[in-house]
Amino acid sequence: MEISVLFFGVLAEVAGTHRKHYSGVSSYADLRHRVEDEFPGISGYNFRIAVNNRLESDEPVLSDGDEVAYLPPFAGG
Amino acid sequence: MRLIEGPVTPEIISGIISKGQQKTECGAHAIFLGQVRNDIVEGREVKAIDYSAYEEMVIMEADKISKTLLSEFDDVAWIEILHSKGEVPAGRISLMVFVSAGHRGQASKACARAVELIKEKLPIWKKEIFSDDSSRWRENE
Repeated sequence: MEISVLFFGVLAEVAGTHRKHYSGVSSYADLRHRVEDEFPGISGYNFRIAVNNRLESDEPVLSDGDEVAYLPPFAGG
Repeated sequence: MRLIEGPVTPEIISGIISKGQQKTECGAHAIFLGQVRNDIVEGREVKAIDYSAYEEMVIMEADKISKTLLSEFDDVAWIEILHSKGEVPAGRISLMVFVSAGHRGQASKACARAVELIKEKLPIWKKEIFSDDSSRWRENE
């Protein structure tokens, strides 16, 4: 699967990028390992995952072309 | 819902009030304005907040908030939310919530509820910029 990963807030700073593309992703677990291997600093932060703009509480099932966002705790207002 | 680059200016706010006035069936408009505060943190003064947002999701979630409030408060006719993205200096407005209703009770309650939901649900982040140009990411309390 081709998956786009977006980083926001402090996580964009830790990753040094706002967007990263991954090819040949087999599952969410595979993606998570690849992201955390590439950006080990991320695992030290609290975050939630959204897939295609929707928050996921459990491990999501990904489809080709999905956009996975790493979201630190919200701080609007 | 609109994301505004920089501060929500008095001109923008005035435009929303004018739009609210066209709702002649409404007898009340409740307005909430959130302003960037010049907090002092360990001797450093906040001179601005730099807001970033997951824009597509902000628009979707704000739409859900509006729909929720319109169903919870049957006297409410219109809800508009404006939030800044990018840098907003201390003393300038970064959030406007405008609620029009038939009567003041539901206008005020729905407006207060909207502010709580905005803080809880909208994927927006803020980085405080201090007067010495250092910065820190800030979470809502």
